[in-house]
Amino acid sequence: MLVGAAWALLAAPDEVFQGFPQRIMYVHVPSVMTAYAALAVVFVGSVLFLWRRDARMDRLAHSAAELAVLFITMTLLSGAIWGKPVWGTWWTWDARLTTTLILWFIYVGYLIVRAWAPGSRGARAAAVIGIVGVLDIPLIHWSAILLRTLHPQPTVFRPEGPALPASMLAPLVVNIVAFLVMFVALLTVRVRQERTLSALVEVLEGR
Amino acid sequence: MGFVAAAYLVVAALFVGYALTLIGRQRLIAELADAVRPDQGRP
Repeated sequence: MLVGAAWALLAAPDEVFQGFPQRIMYVHVPSVMTAYAALAVVFVGSVLFLWRRDARMDRLAHSAAELAVLFITMTLLSGAIWGKPVWGTWWTWDARLTTTLILWFIYVGYLIVRAWAPGSRGARAAAVIGIVGVLDIPLIHWSAILLRTLHPQPTVFRPEGPALPASMLAPLVVNIVAFLVMFVALLTVRVRQERTLSALVEVLEGR
Repeated sequence: MGFVAAAYLVVAALFVGYALTLIGRQRLIAELADAVRPDQGRP
């Protein structure tokens, strides 16, 4: 992550129109990509939990949802900080920004359900939220393409290939990989904690 | 310059904050495990 940050801040070239603030893209885009990866884990874990009633899948989905909220928060905050110098405002009710904020609320709701309703009932309700919430991702993606929006058009994941020059694409890819590795590491620790906690609760309930 | 520094600091702070919650939760789990453990070594 340090290499990615140093590359983005010190070695990547300035973008012609946005200038220095464009370097926020090197944390903003990896944050949202990692949030989507976390939400994919939530979706798969939730589906498998509802289908097979496998507590391991529930623990995986719960842990990934927590990390998804972390990375969506990074996306929203870094986007707002980029918006001020480039758009002249921290926030606007633009389609992409609004759908991303809705995504954040959905998964904060997921965590509230988990906190207020521990046990299998809360797990089932949260799994339904986890599955339905993922439907917001295509809305976020297509909102910048189909609707009038201030948000820049996709520059990396486009059918015709990335629009960025190699000097910008390389540090961006390094940062995306670093964020994904960090996500996997944090997810591993979090799942392990959930597993230990479940085992301890079982022991306590058996007494 | 200030906006870029702010964005990177916010991201770093969120990572550190989350790492601290993991450490805090780990300590709670360790305390709970100690409480649950059978009375080994007690007179």
